[in-house]
Amino acid sequence: MSAIAITGAGAIYGRSLERPRHLHALDLPVGEVPFTNADLKDRLGISAETEVSRTSLLGATAAKAAIMDANLDIKRISGRRVAFISGTTVGGMDITERHFSEMLSDARCAALLTHHHCGANTEEIADICGLGRCYRSTVSTACSSALNAIIQGARMLLTGEADIAIAGGAEALTRFHLLGFNSLKILDSAPCRPFDACRQGLNLAEGAGFVVLERADDAMRRGAKTLGYVAGYGNRCDAHHQTATSENGDGAYLAMTDALRMSGLKADEIDYINAHGTGTPDNDRSESAALRRVFGDVVPPVSSTKSLTGHTTSASGGIETVICLKAMAEGMIPANLRWENRDEQCIVPVTEAISADLRHVLCNSFGFGGNDSAIIISDTPVDLPCFGLADVKCSSSVEISDEAELGELGKYVGPMERRRMSLLMKAATLTSLKALEEAGIESPDAIIVATNYGMLEQGEKMLEHISAYGEEGLSPTLFMQSTHNTIAGSLAIRLKCHGWNMTYSHGEQSLDHALAEASRIISEGHARNVLVGLHDYLPEGFNRRLNLAGIETSARLVSKSMVISKNE
Amino acid sequence: MEMNDIIEELKASIIEALNLEEMTPADIDASAPLFGDDGLGLDSIDALEIIVLLEKNYGIRLANAGEGKKIFTSVENIARYVCENRTK
Repeated sequence: MSAIAITGAGAIYGRSLERPRHLHALDLPVGEVPFTNADLKDRLGISAETEVSRTSLLGATAAKAAIMDANLDIKRISGRRVAFISGTTVGGMDITERHFSEMLSDARCAALLTHHHCGANTEEIADICGLGRCYRSTVSTACSSALNAIIQGARMLLTGEADIAIAGGAEALTRFHLLGFNSLKILDSAPCRPFDACRQGLNLAEGAGFVVLERADDAMRRGAKTLGYVAGYGNRCDAHHQTATSENGDGAYLAMTDALRMSGLKADEIDYINAHGTGTPDNDRSESAALRRVFGDVVPPVSSTKSLTGHTTSASGGIETVICLKAMAEGMIPANLRWENRDEQCIVPVTEAISADLRHVLCNSFGFGGNDSAIIISDTPVDLPCFGLADVKCSSSVEISDEAELGELGKYVGPMERRRMSLLMKAATLTSLKALEEAGIESPDAIIVATNYGMLEQGEKMLEHISAYGEEGLSPTLFMQSTHNTIAGSLAIRLKCHGWNMTYSHGEQSLDHALAEASRIISEGHARNVLVGLHDYLPEGFNRRLNLAGIETSARLVSKSMVISKNE
Repeated sequence: MEMNDIIEELKASIIEALNLEEMTPADIDASAPLFGDDGLGLDSIDALEIIVLLEKNYGIRLANAGEGKKIFTSVENIARYVCENRTK
């Protein structure tokens, strides 16, 4: 048994929801961090000419602050293994969208694509923070990415894979996802009003939030202050719809229930809930239903701090964990701003900051693909069971690298479903279903996907559309399938799998990270059979740009699915 | 433009936008429900795509999917709405 202490926290986010000043896009309120890239570089000691994505600049600012807060001298922690885990989805999209057209003809511009992928941003942040040769990984489960990174950090301390985990997430505003969210018609044209009967959607925002985690005895030994302790966590999948939430909030309910059970706390011992509370009609209704299922008629004080920060998407779980820690330290429940009208289907949030002794707080973070996670933080140490990496076997493995093999999909999937599938989605679905069939398993207990490029076909089509026509006519189907966790989420819907659900995007190492996670969750008792896949497709446009930059590209299509089971 | 022409135009653009590859305009009954199992079997994602299509082709702006639901009951009803509200 071991308690997991949070010994440092750092976050950067905007504190007002206004018309964009830096981003040339829709005239809708957004939560911008009030620093330009030049300001951020200056503060980080990076030369003005060095190209760094805004996601990495925000991430490094927050991660550095967390390391400093923990009073950790990275250069002097010899013998202690560091794991740096960051969550993002947008990654270096800000650079890509700025130069997308020029990248077809200018080799120097095309080379900027090395900043594009999620894993590249994690590497950049770790380098700027001077973390050296530590373990680095990237979680990409859309808006729950940062919280899932923090949960993984805590677990890597419990398995003994690391001694110090620095975990969180970062995301910069881009035209790409602002126009994408707009095509889904879920942006509020006024500052957002979570849980209000008149709420009309979310306000997109940017930022980053990181924490430093250590086993409590290690933290005590070096005399570190402790901001809180991880008491429990849950990672579940709603398995309902790519972007909409289920009516009863199944995934949210399961994630919160898992976290509570693990913490050993009774529901009425939770003093404050930092809700996901995006302000969309769908999320707030469904999250409220889930909260009522967990807590009954007396739901503890709830607020959505997205009413202050906006929705910082992949970074939100990191920023909101930091806000929870601050609330505990100050003994203050943050307000849910602008709530005025009661919605019978929603909880009534805390509308003004109130003093309270916060011993146990719950923080929710949900994402596209139904990736729902929750964490409980306590002010006293909570012993959590340690576990090793399970001895696992590969029960089946199916691989496709040729488009011609996709014809077989018709045996499994009808035309009404097939019509929306991209090539990669078709390949991933086919190899997954065949691997399960081969292993004699109808539905796995958990799904983990590794992908370097993510859903680049959709991304490329969106970028091409935006550079030619702007926002008009942008397809919502493209955007909702553009997040890296689209495959894991879609498979969960098809297989009705509400279990642990993760997506890793860290270059060539993605599959290793996914396999290690399969071993962890089997050992931890979350699953017996895990569907693990490596799925990548490099579309023509990106391939041409990468080749122009002299970057060698490997096979265009890779889809490999495996069933990983406990070796009994 | 006559109602019937708009209906035919809509059928073709719906097939294209929603990738209904195995369908022709003749397969779509203009008065049949578009959503749910008794009709064409479209879902909420398709509703969003139809919103985009109406904006692009006819300059009609709908604020949200909820507003669309009342109009998107059949191709005929969409055509009627287009006739009355088109700006291009």
